[in-house]
Amino acid sequence: MGVAAPHGDDLEMLFAALMRGESAVHPVFPELPKPAAAATVDFDAARWFTKLQLAGVDRVSQLAVAAADLAMRDAGLDTHAVASERIGVFAGCGMGGAAALEAGYRGNGRVPPLTIPAFMPNAPASHVAMRHRAQGPVLTYSVACASSSLAIAEAAKAVQRGEVDVAIAGGSEALIVPGVVLAWQAMQTLAGFAPGEAATAVRPFAADRAGFALGEGAAFVILESADHARARGARRWATLSGWGSSCDATHLTKPDVEGQARALRAALHKAGLQPGDVGYCNAHGTATRIGDAVEFEALATVWGGELDRLRVSSTKALHGHLLGAAGALEAVITVMALQRRHLPPNAHCDVPDPACRLNLVRELGATAPQLEAAISSSFAFGGTNSVLLFTR
Amino acid sequence: MSSLKELQDLIQEKYGIPPSELDPQASMREKGLDSLALAEFIFEIEDKFGIEVPDDNPNIDTLAELAALVDQVRAAKVA
Repeated sequence: MGVAAPHGDDLEMLFAALMRGESAVHPVFPELPKPAAAATVDFDAARWFTKLQLAGVDRVSQLAVAAADLAMRDAGLDTHAVASERIGVFAGCGMGGAAALEAGYRGNGRVPPLTIPAFMPNAPASHVAMRHRAQGPVLTYSVACASSSLAIAEAAKAVQRGEVDVAIAGGSEALIVPGVVLAWQAMQTLAGFAPGEAATAVRPFAADRAGFALGEGAAFVILESADHARARGARRWATLSGWGSSCDATHLTKPDVEGQARALRAALHKAGLQPGDVGYCNAHGTATRIGDAVEFEALATVWGGELDRLRVSSTKALHGHLLGAAGALEAVITVMALQRRHLPPNAHCDVPDPACRLNLVRELGATAPQLEAAISSSFAFGGTNSVLLFTR
Repeated sequence: MSSLKELQDLIQEKYGIPPSELDPQASMREKGLDSLALAEFIFEIEDKFGIEVPDDNPNIDTLAELAALVDQVRAAKVA
């Protein structure tokens, strides 16, 4: 696994920061009329690109290349050869090169010639493919907040079908630019905050929750079959045992209980597990008034009497909403929680919403000694829902 | 006046390639400045000198050729 995330690119340090409840959300663009906050990546492109290589490469692709490279190293595949046509890239991306596009619009009629290849949403996947000579399927999934979760599921299917031996799966997003932030603010889903309180603005499942904060970053996991991993002596973080997706097909932005429940059930069914077998849920939890309420109902519908045994937290409170990369970053976090049997908190929830009767991880340093299976949920604008189920 | 030195400085600043590593008579493409990077570089040159380099150039492959073209455009602008 590899990340270029708001809490850094070291997996151990990232997880430790989450366990301590540290927020990476901070004010951005003080010149905007309404205060804005986001979780950004302190990124040194020079670690992966010469200045020449950066020509026409938007930040969203830079982050993807970094995270994918770190994932390949983590998997020991930087030194182990795989036939190039047996490697695939499955990348989620919501918007593509937002910075390139905005620079084009703001250039007073002078548009940099590489604006299009820098902006195109498939660029991150292409750059990753070039770095690792991935000559198998190189696909980009653009499904808003579910993009990279779906990318991981589709990669798993490709591995299972025998199309690829190694799948580099995940996503990236880098749209923290003024025009895009203004657009999100206009939709009134971003959390407002008092001066000095941006870090705690995002309060999933809290009675006073008021929306989310944008995040940027990239995360990738390397998927391979058990046989392939065993044959090369690979170290395994977890098994992706189940995945489920659905579309609400009801409303463009409003979430739907039945749609989410279908995806949750499908993931359980694929893994051959019952709700009671799953001990932790890394929720979609955007902290919008309606989003969290619907997510609670969907979980309650599927888990029924076992709901109390499911510990739930939304780490978006701490790393922001990475949109196209959210599914992948949260999958990485879920896998680490599963492997360590430590649960990141559902932060900033001083008073939980009584209508969302979930067993929230409110304490820091939570452990789950019996944890065997965990899920990561992503419920997107446009109505597509994606759930990933990992087992030890 | 020759723009060569200014172009060399610009290449060093933007792309980290020092003048010693790019012989003005050598192919830029072989040094990693492919057509995409060259397009971006010309855009930077236009910004720097406040000129417009015409689109219809015969294949510019060396820095010397590019400098000659830039000289031409700058001279035409002054004239």
